Amino acid sequence: MLEKVFLLICLSSALAEQLCKPDAAEGYKVRLSIKTALDDQAYMWDDNEMFLFRSTVAYAMRRQLPGQQFSVPNIVVCNETARVSFWFVVMSPDMGSLIPKQQVEKAVRMSRGRINSAFMLTDHTLEFIGIAPTLASPYTPDTPPWLIVFGVVMGVVVAGIIFLVGSSVVQKKRKKKQKSTDNNAEVNEEHSAVNEGVYNMSFTDEERITRI
Amino acid sequence: MGKDVRPNWDNPMQFVLACVSYAVGLGNVWRFPYLCQSHGGGGFLIPYLIMLVLEGIPLFYLELAIGQKMSLGSIGAWTAISPYLGGVGLASVVTSLYLCLYYNIINAWSFWYLFHSFQSVLPWAECPVNANLTGPIEECERATPTQYFFYRETLDISSNIEVNGGVHMGQALCLLLAWIITYLFIVRGVKSTGKVVYFTATFPYLVLFIYLIRGVTLHGAINGVVYMFTPKMEQLANPTTWINAATQIFFSLGLGFGSLIAFASYNQYNNNFERQAIVVSLINSSTSIFASIVTFSIYGFKATVNYENCLESIRVKLLNAFSLSEDTISMETVLDWIEKLNTTYPEQFAELGLEAVPCDLNKELDTAVEGTGLAFIVYSEAIKNMPLPQFWSVLYFIMLLLLGMGSMLGNVTAIITPLRDFKIFSRMSNELFNGLVCLFCLLLGFGFTTPSGNYWFTMFNDYGATFSLLFIVLIEVITVSYIYGIKRFEKDIEDMLGHRPNWYWKIMWVVVSPVLLIALFIFYIVNYIQGGTPTYQAWDKDLGKAVVTEYPVFGQLFIALLLVSSVSCVPLTALYAYCKKKQRKQPNQRKRTISTVSA
Repeated sequence: MLEKVFLLICLSSALAEQLCKPDAAEGYKVRLSIKTALDDQAYMWDDNEMFLFRSTVAYAMRRQLPGQQFSVPNIVVCNETARVSFWFVVMSPDMGSLIPKQQVEKAVRMSRGRINSAFMLTDHTLEFIGIAPTLASPYTPDTPPWLIVFGVVMGVVVAGIIFLVGSSVVQKKRKKKQKSTDNNAEVNEEHSAVNEGVYNMSFTDEERITRI
Repeated sequence: MGKDVRPNWDNPMQFVLACVSYAVGLGNVWRFPYLCQSHGGGGFLIPYLIMLVLEGIPLFYLELAIGQKMSLGSIGAWTAISPYLGGVGLASVVTSLYLCLYYNIINAWSFWYLFHSFQSVLPWAECPVNANLTGPIEECERATPTQYFFYRETLDISSNIEVNGGVHMGQALCLLLAWIITYLFIVRGVKSTGKVVYFTATFPYLVLFIYLIRGVTLHGAINGVVYMFTPKMEQLANPTTWINAATQIFFSLGLGFGSLIAFASYNQYNNNFERQAIVVSLINSSTSIFASIVTFSIYGFKATVNYENCLESIRVKLLNAFSLSEDTISMETVLDWIEKLNTTYPEQFAELGLEAVPCDLNKELDTAVEGTGLAFIVYSEAIKNMPLPQFWSVLYFIMLLLLGMGSMLGNVTAIITPLRDFKIFSRMSNELFNGLVCLFCLLLGFGFTTPSGNYWFTMFNDYGATFSLLFIVLIEVITVSYIYGIKRFEKDIEDMLGHRPNWYWKIMWVVVSPVLLIALFIFYIVNYIQGGTPTYQAWDKDLGKAVVTEYPVFGQLFIALLLVSSVSCVPLTALYAYCKKKQRKQPNQRKRTISTVSA
């Protein structure tokens, strides 16, 4: 009995290893660029990190397919390189069958943020080749900010014009008033001049004409 | 009596600043650096300075003298010099009108960029995300984010000049603002212009200085400056270099538009314009050189950043393809590794599809860009890479606005001053007349805010003023030297200044400048004929780059119309004056016959 179980486990792990290979039908390639992302604070990629990776993918699969208890042995990894890239496939909890590609993609997409943060990386530096990152929707404010600045500047300028044009209109009105009061004063002077003493009418007539 | 007194500048300084503000414009910032780069760097200064001395300063002096002597705008001044040649003034007004129409669009774009700089992430720094949020918009990915922002979001450009659409609201609003500010600056004529120029003439220098400090401290700036100043003397043998130098001096000083005559007409009769002419011309040229140092340090920065990005992307490609650990290849060793991997794994390497020398700093520096491309695409690309980009962006576009607005003052004054000399318009108040002119230009300018507007803009920019100006200034200098007579002109100057112009000026006016101008004129015509169908750069959104396209028939007809409409003013006005003179002669003859009969 025990031997049969042992054989089954060996067979299934062998099977799993056969299923995981570069360009596997249901597998994805993962590439990490730790040094590019973290520079001085980069950590070494070792078995512990790989264990963390497998457990985060198992977590993602659990979220995607509730009820199924995925765990670390279900995530099969192969073809590790010094770049830090590898292939992985996901097996069902009973190690019987492969989980299809689309399910894996959906799972990764849903939990991408959590997977990234586990490694302090971003969509760009932890790449799942073939799974496009879902970019954050851009924040669109109700009024575009440029319109606000435009409104401020336009308001100031229009106020300036109204002030300038208005002040010149007022100045012109004042000048007109002054001219008419000047004219009135001249007419008054004439009248007062006429009333004093003998006045030669012909001279006054000529003066009026030439004054124009 | 009071109305007929011509307004004057408050002091000669205002006049000098107005000329500086007009002459120092966008061309100093984007055309001169381009010419410097494409004609051998530091070596270009030699033809430039020679042309300044041979044609720039003498022609500048000539226009100031005419304006100050006649105290009239260009139409009145030239009619006074010779009744048959009033058309020269009219041609100047028409050309200035075309210039006003399209020049303020550049200011509208500057406003657009300025207002968009008040955001945490500059909108031209990154590509916007597409509809399904999977990646950047395709058009933006094929081009660069700065190009996308300029062609798509600012202009919403169509695929060629024949395809059109509705007015771009944002652009229209910015154009409205630009014209309202222009009106604000000129609303009371010289009285308001004189105050504004204190600011528009001096503030750009402050910004240029700040940018100079920022520019030379940028990473890689030294590459650009060295590239610019390394003279390539073999370019001096190329005649195009000399022709471009002459043309640049010519347009940079703003000769032939009538603005200088207009400005000078508000001078006191005895103002010493000789010294002022030399000062303004020298300031203009030194600003060009100063601005090109700034431009080239920013150029060098941008080229270095692009070069390093290119190296980085190659490095990542190599790492991914050959699955090497990340610290095996560093930025410095990329090129060595390319060779190593090419020899050890040739087939795999060929699969990558890399060129033999994939990243070339000189090639980046060689991409000479001029005009609006330089200002709005290249510069904004450089700015987004600087630390605290919003501040530098705001500062830069404010400088562009001041330069542009300062030139607009001259452009609009060139239209208003000669028209106000006519009795019909002088009866209207200053504010009303200026407002009507601005409104007219604004309404026509809305045509440039449509999707094909940028193509019309390019057409106006390339053909609206270039040929007509050469013609106008050629007629001007021949008129003054030969028709009016150099002796009479000398006497006028002696009357104004107290001394005659010395032999240098006279030789330039009578011999050198006319010869140079005729040579330029012939060159333009030959170039135009040889060039075949005129072409323009159309933005192809599928390729993500500009494609050379020929103008359609209506486009070519319009170009012809632009050229003919201003040039033909001269012969038509001469004809009109001739007919009028004949008409006046006839009633005289009748009078004589009547008197003999009555006697």
